This record gives sequence, structure tokens and C-alpha cells, in this order.
Amino acid sequence: MAEQLAADLARAGVIVISGLALGIDAAAHRGALVVGGVTVAVMGTGVDIVYPAAHGKLAEEIVAAGGALVSQFPDGTAPRRHNFPARNWTMAALSEAVVVVEAAEGSGALITAEAALDLHKEVLAVPGSVFSPLSVGTHQLIRDGALLVQNARDVLAALGVTQEVLDDPLAPPKSLGIAPPSGRDGILAHLSDVLPLSAAEIARKLQLPVAEVLVRLTALELDGAVRRHHDGYVRALRSGQKRA
Amino acid sequence: MLAAVDSCTLAGLHVRRVEVQAHIANGEVKFLLVGMAATSVKEARERVRSAIKNSGLEFPGKRLTVNLAPAELRKEGSRLDLPIAVSIALARAGRTPAPNTAFLGELALDGAVRHVDGVLVAALGLRELGFERIFVPQANAAEAALVDGLVVTPCASLKAVVNHLLGIELIEPHSSTSPASDLYIEPPEHDLAEVHGQEEGRRALEIAAAGGHHLLLSGPPGAGKTMLARCLPGILPPLELEEALEVAQVRSLLGELSGDRPLSWARPFRAPHHGVSAAGLIGGGSGLAQPGEISRAAHGVLFLDELAEFQTPVLQALRQPLETGRVTITRSGGSVSYPARFTLVGATNPCPCGWAGDPVRSCRCTPGAIATYQRRLSGPLLDRIDLKVGVRRIKVETLASEPTGESSAPVRERVVAARARQLARQGCLNAQLKPARLRQLAGLEPASRRVLERWAEQRGLSARGFHRAWRVARTSADLDGAEQIAERHILEALGYRLQDVAA
Repeated sequence: MAEQLAADLARAGVIVISGLALGIDAAAHRGALVVGGVTVAVMGTGVDIVYPAAHGKLAEEIVAAGGALVSQFPDGTAPRRHNFPARNWTMAALSEAVVVVEAAEGSGALITAEAALDLHKEVLAVPGSVFSPLSVGTHQLIRDGALLVQNARDVLAALGVTQEVLDDPLAPPKSLGIAPPSGRDGILAHLSDVLPLSAAEIARKLQLPVAEVLVRLTALELDGAVRRHHDGYVRALRSGQKRA
Repeated sequence: MLAAVDSCTLAGLHVRRVEVQAHIANGEVKFLLVGMAATSVKEARERVRSAIKNSGLEFPGKRLTVNLAPAELRKEGSRLDLPIAVSIALARAGRTPAPNTAFLGELALDGAVRHVDGVLVAALGLRELGFERIFVPQANAAEAALVDGLVVTPCASLKAVVNHLLGIELIEPHSSTSPASDLYIEPPEHDLAEVHGQEEGRRALEIAAAGGHHLLLSGPPGAGKTMLARCLPGILPPLELEEALEVAQVRSLLGELSGDRPLSWARPFRAPHHGVSAAGLIGGGSGLAQPGEISRAAHGVLFLDELAEFQTPVLQALRQPLETGRVTITRSGGSVSYPARFTLVGATNPCPCGWAGDPVRSCRCTPGAIATYQRRLSGPLLDRIDLKVGVRRIKVETLASEPTGESSAPVRERVVAARARQLARQGCLNAQLKPARLRQLAGLEPASRRVLERWAEQRGLSARGFHRAWRVARTSADLDGAEQIAERHILEALGYRLQDVAA
């Protein structure tokens, strides 16, 4: 979701700001880079220290694509737990609007959202499954008045950008919501985009032996239509398909 | 006056003949024991002297020399007590024992013959060396009698043995405990009927049992990984005679055989704690290595719970046995080799706190900590595991309503049939097929091959991983009763490769 959103926004000329961390942050940077957009990484360390180190290559790509690595900390500042909330404030300050894609209770993304409110910036949040612990924070934000984000158009509207750059502005986003129940044997119809389902659970829904379901899931996985996580299968997002 | 009796010494499962010679000569009153005896054997002098005196026999008041031949072979253990005492008694009486007869046993000070370890191993080895009659402690008679074609004389005391040899009062030989006569199989401790849900884990377990594949279960605490693993012995066929004898030999060396029912047909199940040392797991000790957990689990199941918590060198040590089915350990006393063909079942949490991916509780680990945790399992060990599946936790409130699948009995029937197909085709289980034979015996149709190659390319499979998926597909086909591996079998096999999924 973060990657898709960032890609669509970057295509619309929006500069994507994130924190170079693992997970949503990296996905947002990558999404912007995939479509040749500009993205800025606000770091919680000195700009000469990439944390996590595994993102060294990502940092290079951000700069190469015309983006920037920025930091409020002097060079040589090592990653310190207490520096990251401050970094989140800076991130909010640099932004016109803050989109929270996923936030569990007590997540750092909520600090950024709070900062944005204090700084009178727009706060938006992406809803998720009501069963997902990773959406507890975003749902709370929406309850508190954050704008609900379903796709990039929602963000562009909040920014006051009227230019329509998406393929089909009126169609529901392909990567969210309920896709038409088509695809092989209806397995895809039973899968969710965000909440992983185990092969056993799918087998029970379809009343099929688990071996049979694994056969079909692996075939779909090979085609890039589903993605496997450690805790089950989800429907693959469009960008995921491109990369596979 | 000279007499010689035979005995043996053990190096692992290897038996070497030892000749115990006693010479009574005139000279200074002395008891000499020569022939590279370890401390435990040197102590025999004191036990033998007391045992002879307390058995009402006369200890020679002369210069007594006992030699253990061959002298270049190091001898350990207390099993030479009895042959030493017998050689002295025979030398005094000027008699020679019957040919092809060996003696084993430890002596108590009162002359009683005590239990010693490794009698089954010794008996099997002595028969190979051409021995026909063996004198063993009464407590070990049942295990020695498992060996066909060997007359076993149970020894209660030194006095009884000497009386028998001098023809004063004969001891009845122990009746053969022929393995074929005892076909009682204990019912398995755990039945699959007790497992709620977990269809994926069950199917993976069935494949592991059918093809002898190693299995890794990944899931949060309380998901039922241990329960699944404990069900594995129950869906395996009972041990074959040769396997049962090998299992009994390892137990015999460790002195763990039961006195009245030495042979068991049940598959071993070993679950060492993750604090186990490398020596404890693969075998070790000073002098000559003792069998470790992997040899106790031979022909059965080795269950390693919390796999990521084991020390890395311990896990690394598993590589050779996993590959070859045997383990060779070298210590100061020499090299010994033990059986180690087991099915490895590992269980691991997805992350250090255990809750990553749990639908209810959220994980508190940083992505870095999760990556480190997963990496500890990756590499060579994970590369040798054929099946890796996720196990999900079932909420307690829905536990009762979860379907409880089949019980173990029908699953075992399918497993036995699939194993029979493999043995008829290739003489071993699929997991043990070498790549060359795999290509020859389990050819892939072009469509199936393409699927496997596409996966290998997408996920960067190693050659070893490629062949492992292929073998699992062969087992899936065998469970289907299919001659040829179809595309669906390859696809199913790939469905159990959670290790190819990026964290």
C-alpha cells in the first residue's frame, strides 16, 4: 500500500518524505523511486550514517534520483532511541500533509501524526482490517478526525492538487477494496490484500484438501498473483507484480 | 600354570577380541596386570582378589601375572573382571575352557556378577568373530540372547561360573529371546486425532513420514508445534528387525536396555533441550566417544524445539550426520562411528518474542531483531531441511470447534504404502536419493521441470534446495500412488518451502 501510494503521488509530482527506516518508510521511498519521483529521507542519525545499514543502497538511489538525505543531527550521530521522535517532528514540519499507512499502538508514526497536528498540517490515515493490530493506530487517527485515505486521489485532494494523473480517477483502486471474485478457482476471492490467510484456512473455506490448495496457491505465487508471507498468503499488489 | 580365556573390548559399535591370560608362577607373592589396561581395568585387581576369596575359592599365594592381549589395544571398562577371575581360577585348576567361548561381566566384592553396558553390541560382534558361546551377567542375558546362533550362559556369581566350568554344577543356557517371537508394539503416545486444525502441518508431517524428510515448523508459542512433532513416531511404520537391533545396540552401550524386554519396535523420539552441548547432541566424552542424542534418535525422530536457541556450533555439527546418516567422532581414544539416520523435526518461533504474524497479539521485536533471528537458522542447516511450514495459533475459545482431522492409524497406512513403493523402486527412502539417482528414477516431465526451474530462478534456490523440492515432489507422488511426478506434485512441494519466502 505504502509503495503504491508513494508511486502514484510521485507520479503526480508530489515529493515523498519518509524516514529511511525498515518497512513502510522504505516502501514509500521505493515507490517514489520506481516511477522516477523525488523523495526525501529525514534521518534520525547524522547524514553520514545510514541506519539501518542495509539501506545504504536505497539512500544512494534517493540521492541519485534527485532527492535528498536530510538530518537535524550533526555528522557522526549514531542511532539513538531518543533521537527518532525528534526526527519525526522534523518530518512533519517539512511536510504539507502526513499519511499514516500503518500504526500499531504506540507506534512512532503516531508521534509524527501528533507533531503534524501541533504544526497544523493535514493528517491522513489508511484504514486496515479491523482484525489487524497494525491498524489500531490509524483507526484511532480516523476516529479523531484524520482524513481517510483509500488511494492517492484522497491525498491529492487534501493537498488541493486538482490535476488528475491517475489512470482512471473514478475507478476504485485496484489494490484496495473488494476485487471482483475472479481468478483461478476463486482462491483469489478468498484472499485479502493485507491480512494473511494460511493455506489451512483457505482450504477450509473452499472445502478442499490442503494439499490441493497449496498446489493452486503455489501456481498463483509463481505467476505473481499472490504473495506469501511467513504467516500466510495475501493477494499481491500491482507493484509487487511488476517487480516479481 | 597357565590358562587363557576370551573376552572383548568395544570401540563404539566395533568389537575387538581380547585374550585374558593368567600365569601362576613361583616367586614373590604379587598380582600383576599388564596389557594396556585403563584405570577402570586396573581396579579389577582388587575386585577380582576379593571376589575370588569371597566365593570360597583360593587366591593363588604366588606370583600371578595376568596379561590382556593384544597388548597394543587400550582396554576400558569393568567387563573384563569376570574373564580375569575365570582365567585365574582355571589356571589354578589346570583346566582350559571350551573353545570359542567368551566371558563378560563385572564382579562385586562378594563374587556376584554385575550388569555391564554394551552386552548386545559385544554379543553381535563376538558372533561375527566366530564365537559360539558367551558368559554374561544374568541381568544382561536377555539382550545377549537376542543374537541368533549364540549360546548365552547367564552368570549369577563367580562361584556358579567356576562350578559350571569344572563340571560340578551346570548352568542352564538362557533361552533365545528371538526377536521374531515378540511382536508387541506399544501404542503411540500421541495420536493425530488430538490435533485440532493445523491441516498444513498435518500434511507436511505425513510427507515427512512417508519420504523420511526433515521438517521445520514455524509458529508462535502454543501453536501446537510440539504436539505435531510428537505425533510423528505414531504415523511411522514399526522398526524393521535390523533397525530395532541398531537402536538396541546404542541403548545397550548406554546401559539403557530393559532387562526383560530388550528389543522395542517403537521408533525412538528424542527431544534434547536447546542448552545441549555439541558432545551431548552428536556424541562425545573423553577417551572414546559415547553416542549422543542423534544416535539415540537413529531410525526415529529427533525433535529440536526452539531451534534458533541452540548454539550455532551445535547446529553446525548436525550437518554431516544429516547428510550421511552416520556420525564419526574422534577423541583421544580413537574414532568411533554411530548410526544417525533420523528424521529431524525442528520448531521455531517466527521472531524472538514469538508473536510476529499472530492475528491477535502484536510483535514487539524490531525488524532487525527478527532478521537476526531468522538468519541464525538460515544457511547450511536450513538448506538441509526439506519441508518448512508455518503453524498458526488457534484461539482457545475456538479450539473445541476446530475440526479434529484423521487419527494416526489411516495416515500410517498411507505412509507405509508410500514407503513400500519407494523401497521397491529404489531400496531407500526418497530423502536419501542421490541427485544422480533422482534424475534417473524420478524424471520430470517438461511442464513440471519448467515450474521447478521458474521457482528456483525467482527464489535463488541452491542446487541442494532444488533437489530437495524434487524429492518432496516424488514423495507427494508416492502418497498419490502415481508413477510419474506431475506438475501438481511439484507445486505442492514448493508450497512447503517457507524458507524461500523473504522475511
